[in-house]
This record gives sequence, structure tokens and C-alpha cells, in this order.
Amino acid sequence: MNKALFIISLQHELAMAIGNKLDLKAMLKVFLKVCFNRLDLTSAHIHIYCDQSGMPSKVIPLESTSYQHLLSIPKNKRGQAWSQNLTLKSFVEQLDNDQKNISFQCENGQYLFGFIIPNHGLLTFETHYALGEEVQKALQPVLQKLATSCYTSLVHDSLVKEAHSRQLIEEKVAFQAQHDGLTGLFNRQHINHLLGSAIEDAHINRKIGSVLFIDLNSFKPINDSMGHAVGDKILLTLSNRLHSLSSEYIDIGRFGSDEFIILLKNLSIDYQETVNQLIEQINQLLTIPFVIDANSYKLTCSIGYAFFPLQSSTVNNLIKFSDIAMYEAKRAKSQCGRKYQAAMSEKIKNRLDYVDDMKQGLEQDDFKLFYQAQFNHYGDIIGAEALLRWQHPVHGMESPAVYIPIAEESDLILAIGQWVLEQACRDIKKLEKFTLPNSFNKVSINISAKQLMQADFQEKILNAIKQNDIPAERLGLELTENLLVENIEDSIKLIASLKEKSIECAIDDFGTGYSSLTYLKRIPASVLKIDRSFVANIAQCKESAAIASMIISLGKTLKMDILAEGVETLEEFNSLKDLGCYHYQGFYFSTPLPFDEFTQLLSLKTNNE
Amino acid sequence: MDTELFTWHTQSDTLNDFKVGLTLAQNSGAKSLLVLTCNQNNYPEKELSSLLSDCPLKLFGGIYPMLTLQDSLLKQGALIIGFKDNFDVTLFSQLNHVNNEDCLEKLITSTLEQKYNFSGHDNFLIFYDALIGNMEGFVDCLFECLDHGINIAGGGAGSLDFIQRPCIFTNQGIHSNAVLLVTLPRKLNTSVAHGWSTFQGPFLVTETQGQTVKSLDYRPAYEVYCQTIESTSEHKFNNAEFSDIAKYFPLGIEDINNNLIVRDPILAHDNNLQCVGNIPINSMVYLLEGNTETLIYATEQAAFTAFPELSQTTISTTMVFDCLSRVLFLEDEFEKELNVIAKHCPSPALFGVISLGEIANSQSGAIRLLNKSIVISSW
Repeated sequence: MNKALFIISLQHELAMAIGNKLDLKAMLKVFLKVCFNRLDLTSAHIHIYCDQSGMPSKVIPLESTSYQHLLSIPKNKRGQAWSQNLTLKSFVEQLDNDQKNISFQCENGQYLFGFIIPNHGLLTFETHYALGEEVQKALQPVLQKLATSCYTSLVHDSLVKEAHSRQLIEEKVAFQAQHDGLTGLFNRQHINHLLGSAIEDAHINRKIGSVLFIDLNSFKPINDSMGHAVGDKILLTLSNRLHSLSSEYIDIGRFGSDEFIILLKNLSIDYQETVNQLIEQINQLLTIPFVIDANSYKLTCSIGYAFFPLQSSTVNNLIKFSDIAMYEAKRAKSQCGRKYQAAMSEKIKNRLDYVDDMKQGLEQDDFKLFYQAQFNHYGDIIGAEALLRWQHPVHGMESPAVYIPIAEESDLILAIGQWVLEQACRDIKKLEKFTLPNSFNKVSINISAKQLMQADFQEKILNAIKQNDIPAERLGLELTENLLVENIEDSIKLIASLKEKSIECAIDDFGTGYSSLTYLKRIPASVLKIDRSFVANIAQCKESAAIASMIISLGKTLKMDILAEGVETLEEFNSLKDLGCYHYQGFYFSTPLPFDEFTQLLSLKTNNE
Repeated sequence: MDTELFTWHTQSDTLNDFKVGLTLAQNSGAKSLLVLTCNQNNYPEKELSSLLSDCPLKLFGGIYPMLTLQDSLLKQGALIIGFKDNFDVTLFSQLNHVNNEDCLEKLITSTLEQKYNFSGHDNFLIFYDALIGNMEGFVDCLFECLDHGINIAGGGAGSLDFIQRPCIFTNQGIHSNAVLLVTLPRKLNTSVAHGWSTFQGPFLVTETQGQTVKSLDYRPAYEVYCQTIESTSEHKFNNAEFSDIAKYFPLGIEDINNNLIVRDPILAHDNNLQCVGNIPINSMVYLLEGNTETLIYATEQAAFTAFPELSQTTISTTMVFDCLSRVLFLEDEFEKELNVIAKHCPSPALFGVISLGEIANSQSGAIRLLNKSIVISSW
């Protein structure tokens, strides 16, 4: 009677020990421990069926399914893990093959009893006594329950994993929605959102905040010349440096390309001082060179900022204002940052109006080409430079020094450049109909940076020549040395290609830039134009004369023609001639003339021949 | 073959006398010292602690309710055994901060890893603070992590009044909530006995919480316990202290091989029985009974087993862990228990502690926490 009661209580105790934990291994360990104590075991082991990836299998084991050692009590035998024990290994192998309860008496008198956990694994007990048959039988329903609990644990485990991976994906999506893919900083949308909240907080807490707009200077040439991979690494490095500034009250974001936003919150009365310090910190971060793939890059930035709610309480305005201020800082080449001022917007508005005027002027044919003749030392006209003139309806004749930089800031310079090209070609066509002096070579036009960057720039030149049916050698291009150096490799290719098609290029304003002589040697230009600043008072100014002399020698060495600009007096002419410069342009010879007057000058010269 | 070369004891309860003994031990040429003291001594804790910390030799042991030396019971005083081997001592401390099984496993695993899992060592003595909350969990976990095939013996240290105080000795001082594991240089043989037999039952344990039995056969445990005793004996709980009757009727968990693991009900509260050691839910328990003869007979049988004639010449040290409840039960006849051990013991050094819970391997090899038992260990 007591034996029966013992077995029932044993069965009950073992059954109650099943399913107390959700994790498979933890659940089986609880069960195994109870078995261990109640059945007075020497050791106990569980092997579990696994799928091909080595994970415990939920489904009924297939023939190819293998089992793996999961746990043992105690963990080791004589310092060796049970999974390495040969006796246990071979016993479990036999148990798996037989798929029914087996037992075995070892040489040391100990017994092994093996049981099947239906569909899930194998259970082995080591005892110092023979386990009664009635006890073995009593274990059968317990093992069936254990199998069900194994399945439940595995289902739970897969649900936990699924929930975990879903959570990870959700976190990733949420991160991506708020962060920039390249730098990991906040993206534009999230910075806008943060700014919105910061403005609200500033109102509620009577605090001040600031938006700093940062733009790298001269980053584009690095991207263009070294490739985007290098550019991206620089941006990433900079982002990491900027991120070091972030705190509870400082958020950092990437606004786009090389533009970054810093959002400063919770500023007190000394807000201006705080911003100044932050700008200093940002500049400090940039003083460390960016070493990418063994190359070192030095960068600076322009910073504009605006305060909220002092200057605005809307997200769009604050971003716009700090952007405007950043452009002012860039224009002024300032490292100290620029605070937004209402006058800056006014200036921009005026500029936009001015651009509209230019557009209108272009449509209404208010732009004209004037031609300034170029002479040799005999007084013969060797060519002319086409110069743009604009008769503003209100301001009268506008200076190119005013409208060209404004046109360059907008894409209008492209339309103007194209008009100049086409008009010059039309004028050349007209000139072709005259009898030109033998010395006359070509008409040159000025090319802007934006034009040069156009992928189809050469095509546009050739088209204009073709459409007007003029000899290519009658058209010349003038490019400033700074413009060439910004994108030296492409410039060299372009000039060489144009030269093959008989279109010569001149390097304008030479001496004012900082071009490397190595580059200069590689540029296949035909003419070097000495900048007017070295020509003015050349007779009196030894330095100007020395520079002009150096440029003349350089031109000779590189087999380029030298032309001096801005020659206004006989004295200058004589000095230049003495130095060996024989081509000139300037008021001493002729002012820029409307086309008709220029043709008259040409006729006069032709008739004199 | 002697592994110990110094034995010193005192029945004085003063620290100065103890200090004399410790100085003698330090100058004896011994490399390790087993230091045992009685909890009734007047040893100021701080001074004792600094004495232990100052000892240049490896030191281990504890404060026990009483000590035994040969066939004598020492109710106060101290005992110092000096060994010529340098014993390895491992302390598991701050066990009161270990709240769950995972933490316990981590603590034991990491401590064992520091000792290279005692590779090559299979024989241990264990001294522990008897009032650690989950000593049985610790023992189970230690067995799981240590190894299959180890031999171990030990006993719970502490005070007669069951108030927790620092009671485990190391070179760092006196510790509470700590377990001390000492590797032995030679094979440890243990023999366990209790002398209790089934009296009433079985009862199904239907509700428990750790060491507290809440219900037996779906009835309040205390009620079942009292009614069973009162209906079959002359004892009446109304007229007596619970412990005065309970010491005659411990609970016993019967295992599959009909072995009884004794659990001592030390306290009754809210109709529950508070035992020393866990009683698993759904297990079967019996009320046990015993008398002087059965207890001493069992001890003598254990001594026979512990000292087989053939190995008598090789046994040099014998340490006995004898449960305090046996002293309380046997009262004046307790010395008989010590006599039967001494009679059969061939060791020149026979000593022991009166412990609060005992530890030994079961027949299967597992480590068990025992109550009301005697563990005779020799190496």
C-alpha cells in the first residue's frame, strides 16, 4: 500500500515539477532536479532533438534529425563534461536507435536507465540501484506531459524570438525615421520636429534657444576630385566630432550634403556668449585634419544662427534665417559665425528682385555685347574681348561688377552665358562679312564657373559655332585661373579637347590667383592675360613690373602669348613693351564699343592697311 | 601517515587561554590550522577576529554549540588541530545577497573557476553558517557545479540560541552568511547514521514553502502532527513546550530506496511546522521515533562502517559532525554515543563538533543536508 502511495506521490511530484518555467532548458532543469532528488540518482541527463541549424526542434523528429546534449546534473564527471563521456554517449545512441526504454549495468556496478521524451528527446538516469519496473512505468505519463511542456516551451521560445526580432526591426525603423543614414545624426525631419518642441518649451519655460546652420567650405571640390567615398568618410568623421558636443540641451543633425544643424536649448540670459563658445568649439573640432586613406584634408565651415523665440517662433523661419546668416558668413569668409539680421533678408529680397530684373532684361534684349579691341605693339587689332553691358530700366547702365556675382549665385548666369555665346557667334558671323584686318584673329568671351561645370558645355560651344556657321578659330574663351584650378583635371581635358577643335583659351586675370605652376604647365591654354592690377602704374611700381616681367617670362617658357589688360597710358604701354609684352587691351587703345562702333574701328584699321 | 601533528584544546572560556593555544599551534610546525570554538565562550568578537587575521598559517573552522574530543563533550573552550599539509580554503560569502538560483550558480561557478574547479581534488570538508537561508539550495548547486564523485562532510556552525552571528573562521576573520570549503589531502570516508525509524504515516506533503510545511494530507501540518502524536503517545502539546515533544518525533522523507532523510521540526507557528531543511511538495513524509538505544546503535553501526578493520592502520584523522538535537535528546547519555565511536576509532586524532545540520554524500553520491544525524568522517 505504501509502495503504491509512494509511486503515486512520486508521479504527482514529478508531474508538478513540469512546466514551472517557460524557457526549455530552465523548465527541464527543474524537472531533472526533482527526479534527481526523489529517485536518489547519481547523475541525470537530457538530450534533445534538434533541427539542422542545431536548435531544439518543435516538430516530430525526421530521420535526419539529430539529438544534442542539453543538460546534466551534475555538470561534469571527473572534470570532464558529460557530453564527452563515452559510456553515456554510446548509451544514448542506443536509446535513440531503439526508441524505447532501455537499461544497462556498467562495470562499476552503476546502472543507466534510458527513457524517451516523445518527439523531443532522451532522458537518462544513472543510479546505484536497479530502478523498479513499476517506477519506470510510472514515469511514462510523466514523460508524455514533459513532451507537451517541451513543445510549449519551444513555441514560447519562437514567439519570444519573433517578438524580439520584431522589436528590433521596429527600433531600427524608428531609428531610421529619425536619423541620417550616413552619419547617424538626427535627420532633417527629426531636427525640425525637435526644433518645434524646443520652441514650445522655450515659450513655456521662458528660455531662449538657438539654431546653428553649419556648412562646410570648399567641400564640393573634395567630393568631386576624390570621390564620394572620401567625402562620406569626411562627413562621418565630422559628424562623430560634432556628436561629442551633444548633450541634454544640444541636438545635432545633418540637414543635407555638407550642411549640419545644431539645436541649442535652455539658454539663459548669456545666450550670445554660449553660442559664441559653441562656435569656437566647432571651429576647434575642425582644426584637427581629416585623415582619410592616408590623405589629410583641412576644412573650415561657415556658421549662421538665429535665436528663438526672439527672432522667430516657427521652425521654417528659424531654419531659413540661420541658413541666410550662414550664407552671409560664407560670403564674408567669417569663422566667427553670423547672427541673423532682418537686413539680411532684405538684402536677399533685393537680390531676388534684381535677378528678376536681369531675367526680364534678358528677355527684353536689354543686354548688349560691347567689344574691346586687343592690339599688338604695331597698333594692329589682333582681336577683341566681348564684354556684357546691361541697360537697367531704372538704374541705367549697370556695372558688371554688380550683376555678374549676383547672376553667378543663381542659375541665371547660365542663361546669360549662353546668350553671350550665341550673341558673340552671331556678331562674329557679321564680322566675317566685313573685310577684316589681316592681324585680326578672334573674339573672346568670358566663361563662368557654372558654365564650365555643365556636362554639355563643349557641345553648347560647338553647337553655337555650327549654327552660326563661323570658323571655330574666330571664337576664344577666357577663364580665370581660380576657375580652372577648382576642377583642374576636367579643365585640362576640356581645354585640350577645345584646342583640338581650334578653339583657343586664355587664362584671365593671371597673377591674382594662387595657381600652382605645375598645374599651369599642364593647362593647354594659348594666352596668359596679365591682370590689370599689375599693369596700373607699372612704370612707377617696381613690384608690378617684377610680377609682369615674371608672367611674361613664364608665358614665353610655356609658349603662351601674353596680353596685358587695363593698359590706360602711353607710359604703361611703353613699360610693357620694354618688358617684352606685345599684346594689349585697355583704354589707351580703345574703350569697349558697341558692335557697330567696333566694326567701324575695324574698318578704319582695314582701310589703313 | 599522520596528517596532523598538533592537537590542543582548552575548556577555558577566555580569549587569553585561546591565544596561548593559537601561539603554540603557530610554533608547532603545522602549515594549516583547524580552529573550533564553543559558542558559550566569552570571546570578544573583534579581538578574536583580529587574532585570526594575524595568524600567519592557513586557518579554517568555526564557532559551534559544543565540541567533542575523543569521548568527551566540551561545552566551552576551544580545539586547535594543526596539519602538516597546506590546505586549500575557499570562502563563499555574502550568501544572504544571493536571491535566486541563477545568481547562486553564477557565484559558485565563478568561485570554482578561480580554483580551476578543484581539478584533482575530490575530498572536502564544509563548514557553514547554519542560519543561511537556503543552504540546501547551495548544497544542490555546489554538487551540480563541482563534480560527480566527490566526497564531502560538514556541519552547520552557530549558536544554541539560533541568533545569527559571525561563526565561520578564515584568515580574514569571522564571517556570517558564509560557506567554507576545505580540500583534504587524502581520501575522505564518511559514514552516516541517525537511528530514527518510521512511527506514523505516510503523509502526503500538500503545501510547503521552503522549510515550512503548511499542510499534510490537505490538513494544517501542525494539527496533523499534534493529533497524530497525541493519539498514539502520552505527550500532550497543551502542557508542554513544542520543542520538548518535537525532539522525540522528527519528520522523515522516505526516498525510493526506503532511506529516511530526517527533518527536524524546530518551531510551530500559524498551524505550520518549521523544519531545518527543505521538505518538497508532494513528497511523502513519516513521523519518526527513536530512543537512546536506537540512536546509539545506529552510531555504532556507522562507526563499524567508518572504520573497517582492514583500513584501520591508514586512518589518521577522524572528525565527527554530531547534531545538537542528539545531545538534547540523549542528554546525560550522549557520552555513550561518543564512547561507541571512540571505542572503534583507530585514529590518534578523534574530534568533532556539535552541529546545527550536517552534510554528507548520500549513497547515490549526491550531497545531502541532514538533520538529527551523525556524520563520521575520516581521512
